[in-house]
Amino acid sequence: MGLITEKTPLAGVQPVKFLLNWGRRYSLWVMNFGLACCAIEFIAASTSKHDFIRYGVIPFAHGPRQADLLVVAGTLTDKMAPALKRVYDQMPEPKYVISFGSCSNCGGPYWDSYSVTKGVDQIVPVDVYVPGCPPRPEALLHGILRLQEKIAGEDIREKFSGKLTTPAATS
Amino acid sequence: MASSPRPLPPPEIETRLRAQFGDDVVSFEEQHGHAVVTIPPARYHDAAKFLRDEPELAFDYCDFSAGVDLGDEGFEVVTHLFSTSHVHNVRVKVKLPHEDPVCPTISDLYAGANWHERETREMFGIEFEGHPQPVKLLLPEPFEGNPLRKDFPLMSREAKPWPGDVEGEEVEEE
Repeated sequence: MGLITEKTPLAGVQPVKFLLNWGRRYSLWVMNFGLACCAIEFIAASTSKHDFIRYGVIPFAHGPRQADLLVVAGTLTDKMAPALKRVYDQMPEPKYVISFGSCSNCGGPYWDSYSVTKGVDQIVPVDVYVPGCPPRPEALLHGILRLQEKIAGEDIREKFSGKLTTPAATS
Repeated sequence: MASSPRPLPPPEIETRLRAQFGDDVVSFEEQHGHAVVTIPPARYHDAAKFLRDEPELAFDYCDFSAGVDLGDEGFEVVTHLFSTSHVHNVRVKVKLPHEDPVCPTISDLYAGANWHERETREMFGIEFEGHPQPVKLLLPEPFEGNPLRKDFPLMSREAKPWPGDVEGEEVEEE
């Protein structure tokens, strides 16, 4: 079929749309933007006990250009923010962002710091926020399931038009 | 085989420093078994050079160099030196005024002090005279202000009071 674009015929027709989204939601190559202790919980979620590969989330994308999902796990500082923006810009559409943990959601315990970005949603559009300090791996699994629900309901042509940036919160 | 280390007790270090610098040794004390010497900014570089090159002292390793904001008393640059051969420690303190604090650099003596001085410069606004690369180290380039100064305003705290205060607890006056 080749690349899916906003010009792909039949992409909005129900059986085709369902199949496309079904394929996309269970094949999420994930980029771990690990910045602090939350990254350890992310790694725990990828290993055998919690094992998010069973949900079709494939860890360790070789680079942002091969990733569909960006998980920002940890404390983003103002100095690191341009690097996050750059990684996000390098990812191909359609792409998704999970903000994992209090720091990346809103600054968390560093709410009054001079150096911490108070929320990564100031830098990149976030699809799912996972609260916690740090959240347990189960919370990430829950966030992934919420993201998959969101992908299932998407119109691929709208996603490419850049209109689908409304966030969904877990719990 | 290397000879066993012979650390000098702090009073011995004091004797040697006073013999070399006389009245320029502003004060000397012993903290946790370490010698702590206060020296005027003008003799800071000489003192570091003396501590490094004197064979019985041989402070060959700069552990850290940092700043302290003492409020009205100005600033202090604290440099911790360590001798890997004798296994003894000394802290050299330099008192600086609150307005235009300028301190000589020791990065020509200890290469490791280079980044410490850059960090102290951006965090406290203390200029290091003669530093080979006086630019920001950790802060992003457009950052304005010196965040570790006591009078640096935290904008989030201006908008929202610290939520950790316990009711009935005495509030520390600024």
